[in-house]
Amino acid sequence: MIVALSRSSRKDAVTLTEHPFIPFDNEDDSLLFEKLQEHVLAHYPNPERKGCPDPAVLKSLIDNPGDVTLVELNDLHIFKCAECTRLLMELREKKKQS
Amino acid sequence: MRLPTPADLCWNVKCSPDQEWIERTLRIAVENVWPQALEAAHSRNGHGSHVVEIVESAIEHAVCRLKTGDPLGPEQVTQLLQRLVLQEVRRRRRANGRMVFVGSSDELPPTPVRNPQIQIDCALDLKIILQGEPPDVRLALLLRYSRFRWSEIAAALGTTEAAVRLRCKRAIERIREKQEGEQHES
Repeated sequence: MIVALSRSSRKDAVTLTEHPFIPFDNEDDSLLFEKLQEHVLAHYPNPERKGCPDPAVLKSLIDNPGDVTLVELNDLHIFKCAECTRLLMELREKKKQS
Repeated sequence: MRLPTPADLCWNVKCSPDQEWIERTLRIAVENVWPQALEAAHSRNGHGSHVVEIVESAIEHAVCRLKTGDPLGPEQVTQLLQRLVLQEVRRRRRANGRMVFVGSSDELPPTPVRNPQIQIDCALDLKIILQGEPPDVRLALLLRYSRFRWSEIAAALGTTEAAVRLRCKRAIERIREKQEGEQHES
């Protein structure tokens, strides 16, 4: 097993990970999911919003994550939709600021 | 490959009685040249399956030249045949568009997908990667993707942070592998 020094997105958090595939990642997988978001934003544009759940459902996901079902979210649609990803990021950012 | 007899290879050599030396010296030359011809055909074309045709063609050219010149000894005929064999190997290689065939496609190892679009779909299509994962794992990963912290996800799903992370561990490892593969490809 390769042990590599890894960096978190925050400067003050430097941790060690034993994962052999992504040597630079923080221990709560933030970097991995940031990269996934970047990938989806770059590769899955959906300007016609085909298959997108209602924006109210996405808002509900951010406000009360336990109340939303996969069916309402159209299963894993968000993982292949730049528009939903963008909206989720905005909603999450607003939630953090409020 | 079985060594053909010179008679096998010189089957089309037809000479008048006064040029009988051509057939005699060519048979000796064929025996001398055969191993080198086989090696040349194999190293330059990737296989030796055409070596008989190559040597036969070289013999045909040799006969044409020998018929117009003075009688030569076996060593000189061997040198001539060697040269003509190598010329024929090179000609065939050029005729094949400089492609070198080594083995067959069945022997090739599986190669990664080269089409960039397919590569994206295969490498990081989370819908495919997470196919078969239970609903709670899918929802947890969706929430993590939406920038929820693991502790918040655990609270939303009514479990502990350690438990939810353990449930998602295998799926995250698969995503990491795919992402790493994509980084290597790009």
